[in-house]
Amino acid sequence: MGFRSYVIRRLVYAVIVLYVILTLNFILFRVMPGDPTKMIIDPNFTPEAKAELKRQFGLDQPPWKQYLTYMKNLLKFDLGYSFSTRRHVWSELKERLPNTIKLFLTTFVLTSTVGMTLGVKAAATPGSFRDRVVIPAGLFSHAVPGFYIQLLMLLLFGYYWPILPIHGTMSAPPPIGAWPQFVDKLWHLVLPVTSNMIVGFGSWALYARNTMIEALGQDYIITARAKGMSERDVLYKHALRSVLPPIVTLIFMSLPGMVSGAVMTESIFSWHGVGRYLLDATLQMDYPAAQGAFYLIALAVVICNLLADVAYGLVDPRIRVGAGGAK
Amino acid sequence: MPKKVRLPIALVLALVLALGIAGAPSAAKMAFETTGPHVDEIIMPIIKDQQARRIAFERGESVVWSGLTQPDDIDRAKAMPNSDMTMTLGFHMFYLCFNMREEPLSNQPIRQAIAHCVDRDNIIRTLFKGYMLPMTSFVPQVSPFYKADVPVYPFNHAKAAEVLDKAGYKLDPATNVRIDPKTGKPLAEMKIFTPTYEVAATSAELGKMIADSCQKVGLPVVPEPMDFPVMLDKIDIHEFDMYVLAWGLSRNPDFLYSFFHSSQDVEAGYNNPGMRNPEYDKQSERLNYAADLKEAKAASDACQLILAREMPYVPLYSRPYIDAFRKDLVTGYVPMMGFGAASYNNQWTTLNMRRVDRRGNAIEGGTIRWTLQEEPKNLNPCVASSAYEQEVISRLYDGLMAMHPETLDDMPWMARKWDVGVWEPEPGVKGTTVTWYLEKGIKWSDGMPFTAEDVEFTINYLKENKVPRYLPATQDIVKAELIDRYTVKVYFANVSYWHIYNAGLAFLPKHIWKDVKDWKGFEPWKEAHPKIKGYSKLVGTGPFILKDYVPGEYVRLVKNPNYWRLNK
Repeated sequence: MGFRSYVIRRLVYAVIVLYVILTLNFILFRVMPGDPTKMIIDPNFTPEAKAELKRQFGLDQPPWKQYLTYMKNLLKFDLGYSFSTRRHVWSELKERLPNTIKLFLTTFVLTSTVGMTLGVKAAATPGSFRDRVVIPAGLFSHAVPGFYIQLLMLLLFGYYWPILPIHGTMSAPPPIGAWPQFVDKLWHLVLPVTSNMIVGFGSWALYARNTMIEALGQDYIITARAKGMSERDVLYKHALRSVLPPIVTLIFMSLPGMVSGAVMTESIFSWHGVGRYLLDATLQMDYPAAQGAFYLIALAVVICNLLADVAYGLVDPRIRVGAGGAK
Repeated sequence: MPKKVRLPIALVLALVLALGIAGAPSAAKMAFETTGPHVDEIIMPIIKDQQARRIAFERGESVVWSGLTQPDDIDRAKAMPNSDMTMTLGFHMFYLCFNMREEPLSNQPIRQAIAHCVDRDNIIRTLFKGYMLPMTSFVPQVSPFYKADVPVYPFNHAKAAEVLDKAGYKLDPATNVRIDPKTGKPLAEMKIFTPTYEVAATSAELGKMIADSCQKVGLPVVPEPMDFPVMLDKIDIHEFDMYVLAWGLSRNPDFLYSFFHSSQDVEAGYNNPGMRNPEYDKQSERLNYAADLKEAKAASDACQLILAREMPYVPLYSRPYIDAFRKDLVTGYVPMMGFGAASYNNQWTTLNMRRVDRRGNAIEGGTIRWTLQEEPKNLNPCVASSAYEQEVISRLYDGLMAMHPETLDDMPWMARKWDVGVWEPEPGVKGTTVTWYLEKGIKWSDGMPFTAEDVEFTINYLKENKVPRYLPATQDIVKAELIDRYTVKVYFANVSYWHIYNAGLAFLPKHIWKDVKDWKGFEPWKEAHPKIKGYSKLVGTGPFILKDYVPGEYVRLVKNPNYWRLNK
């Protein structure tokens, strides 16, 4: 009963947060200076044509009316037409979402696995050579700007040692046959994923190392060792399990960041994804497109937060008990 | 008195020589064919990152590196042994705009003094390594309407000081700021709006250079870089002193009306300087509603003379079109005046380009790769507006007229000839008629005949649906009338020489579009052709057909087997 009410309460919070985000999403673009028609700097585009375009965009309506239409459409998951492309925003997002998910799930799985493994290994032998390598490498990875590494890799493997594809998700045109196409797509993942790994594994490694070192200093670890458990069991069955709740949270919390953090990678490697779409839409003041992309990201953030809360409640009984007790 | 100068052809030639670029406007008679295309397929990979595009060109994955603007890129392309560069003058104009509505910029001597403080040569040398052309005219030098003998105000601090002194703006030696003779107080600060350094470093620096130069003669001018949308917003509501911005102009000087006629001094209008000059209004109306070319030319000349005197803008420089081609992969590209060799406006390169073999000989057929800088997001011809969409669309459609690549004269194309006449929309009111006589035997890419019905349908469809992109062209059209299968007459409500360019709308195949109710949402490239398997509803009369479009990846065009100007 306690867990159920905990979940319901989180769900209500999530809906409220989503509503607030969507309202801010509407206001944000309206308070920005200019409007989409002002971005069209064309001597042949007369004031009459601009007025007609505004009418067709619905921008001639009072803001409250625009807001009502916006909310009504969102409830139906109708994200409207993009101002710049005149295509359905959802069609455009649907086209791009698989690419973003593919790129960042691959990155996420590899980065978190490599980062956490290195962190745990370093924590197991603090001060060792391994630890002394992981810490500066992790700090470098955490601090270096992603775009710098990506441009550097583009130059190295695209120009000086031209062995890797430098743009897109497939060859143009793609090879014939399912298997060659699969290999071709994997090949196109190498540069963006590797560059993302270089700049991403550090925070995972440092976080895992620090939490593990803290856990390894706890009394129950000394007890486990005193009982004669193998170091491997101490490490993975006791210490790692005790740091799982914050790591689960970190996993869920970093998922939406994958979509929003896609802007740079997708721009540099000409990846047809949501991040690049958001950037273009914002620059062109394409309200429906930017709102649609933000809506998607907001939805991802809220759902992931909700999942993190639920997962946290599942892996750590104190949370749900505390929630029940607070009722 | 302002000095008079001739067309700075010498400057153009000097730039060409400095660049060491081939195919420049000084080249001998341009060779091009009006038949083609000579390649079977164009694959257009979409590469958005600038560095990746450069690398693709250097790796031979693209035959072209187009629209080079950065001096470092130009130098790099020049240094490549396999690169052949073309350069032509463009219709680009970068300018400084004054707000003439308020003191002190409403006074011509202040504007003239600021013009004398602009050191174009230094700006171009410092910011662009010399790869720009100084501009002093209101119509680009490449336009046939360019008037050379108008007053200009060359860089000269002494002259600027003399103009100010003569107008009563005396220098206060204590503050080094000029005193306004009307108020007796120092001149108020005048700001030059520019985009930020992060967005457009050269524009921001240029604003600073002009401001610094003005301060040397006691004019309190300061640069103010700002967010670009904020800047556009302020310009729109006329809350500015000065700003720097660029226009992409065209061959015809009809923009002289929309930029400077007093009726356009409204919010969202383009008369941003707020010029209100009855004499200019009269001449620009004459230009806008000229009955023929001769009158248009005379009115355009008169407008340029008034503008040179009034100085609502200080034209600063014009960017030439510089493109690099892989000469070991292709040949036959045609540098087109005003548009460059690789622009989507240039149909001649599309028709004439051929692959070359290892010995450098031109060969027929085969595939070339041509980079697209951005996603051609919407290939619906009613909606497509960006240059990246036009890069694809322009290869799928032909026009009723063509433009000669060297002289920029109109050429018969899908219309073998045309007549311009007069009619009376109402008793006592004159209007223009344009009659198109179409070539026979032209087919749409799906094999259906292209006839006058398609032209009539296109005009009526765009007008009835108030398609914004074509509203300026269709707003004065009263009707389109079918004379016979290959003749169509378009009626305009008023008289204007420019209507001939508004009447040339012929890109909607009636047999496809007659059932399209939602013109905005129609995605013809995604819908299967009703009769021909493997074709989409994106049907044109141009040299190529869209074979594939994989969003974010590439566009694939193949030769149109029904093209009416195939090289047989």
